[in-house]
Amino acid sequence: MDTKSLITEAKARFNHNSAKAYLKDKYDSKFIVADQNGLWRANLETINFLTATSDAEVIIIDTFNNPVKVIRQELLDKLSVVYKTTMEEWYNEWVELEKNR
Amino acid sequence: MSKGALLFAFNSPKYNYYEMAVATAKRINHFLNLPVTIVTDESSIPDNRNYTFDKTITTTPDKTNKRDWGIWINKGRYQAFELSPYTETLLLDTDYMVNSSKLLKTFDLPTDFCCHDTTSFLMQPSVSQELLSVYSFNTLWATVINFKRTNRSEQIFQCLGMVQNNFEHYANIHGFISATFRNDYGLTLATRITNGHIMPIEDIIPWNLLHVGKNTSVYRNNDHEFNTEYTVMFDNWQRGKIRKEYNTIKDTDFHVMSKENFMELIA
Repeated sequence: MDTKSLITEAKARFNHNSAKAYLKDKYDSKFIVADQNGLWRANLETINFLTATSDAEVIIIDTFNNPVKVIRQELLDKLSVVYKTTMEEWYNEWVELEKNR
Repeated sequence: MSKGALLFAFNSPKYNYYEMAVATAKRINHFLNLPVTIVTDESSIPDNRNYTFDKTITTTPDKTNKRDWGIWINKGRYQAFELSPYTETLLLDTDYMVNSSKLLKTFDLPTDFCCHDTTSFLMQPSVSQELLSVYSFNTLWATVINFKRTNRSEQIFQCLGMVQNNFEHYANIHGFISATFRNDYGLTLATRITNGHIMPIEDIIPWNLLHVGKNTSVYRNNDHEFNTEYTVMFDNWQRGKIRKEYNTIKDTDFHVMSKENFMELIA
């Protein structure tokens, strides 16, 4: 039996909340980036800080709570790419799942 | 420098762990592009092998562990350090369904040993984290471990062996039931003991381990060998009645607790 028939026969309902939680879990891990001897999360706070600063090197706290000296532009470029691609993937899958409502 | 995955698989009277390991190894090869070594015993190896592991290591399994459904051969995981042929090893449970390249990130983490300390359950987002007991620590999970050949990693695995051999003693101290040895509990204690009774944040894989838990079944959306799309069905009990709920997932690794469900997925 294919899964569509299974859903119909079982009269199963799409669980919106668990879908939302699943997507958050799935994409949270994709924001993690190991770079320049630190572990980073490609989030708005870090990207905004790196954008707002003009120094070539900055010291910031990584996700392991260690202060790490990094080449600002290199890290900013990497985090920006990861943030953009991950958010796009997340959004597309979210839109697809929303059709099940 | 060599990287590879290590699987422990000893057939029990009820479950064919070797077959599970073959399916998992194929997915590791496909999605992670890593060689896989299996640790097993002679009696688990089938006559007609349709898959060749990078290395096959045979040992004598300890069959003294029991669960409600029968013999559960999960002791001896502490031997992973001495048995692994790799300098960087990804140690996985055989019922871990690899559907993406996500685990490759564990090799990039700036640590020599890491595992999960938090979980989430498909279809049950509000399930709380497991503790050894209400008076003790959050459980670490032995389902996914990444380790390098360092003295500290060796000490953690040696300590895991020590905890396994004295499991009843640690159960008394931490207030959990010792009737069944669990690598998760052993690992929780061994990691803390080795690190001076603290849990370094660097040893934690920075995302949740995704479980398929009770009342939940996973179905393949197609029959491709390396399918990554699934439908998850959940029996939600409300006021004495079951309400069937579902979700669809793709490109997501998960750990299947029900061996029957895992066997269906790899059939």
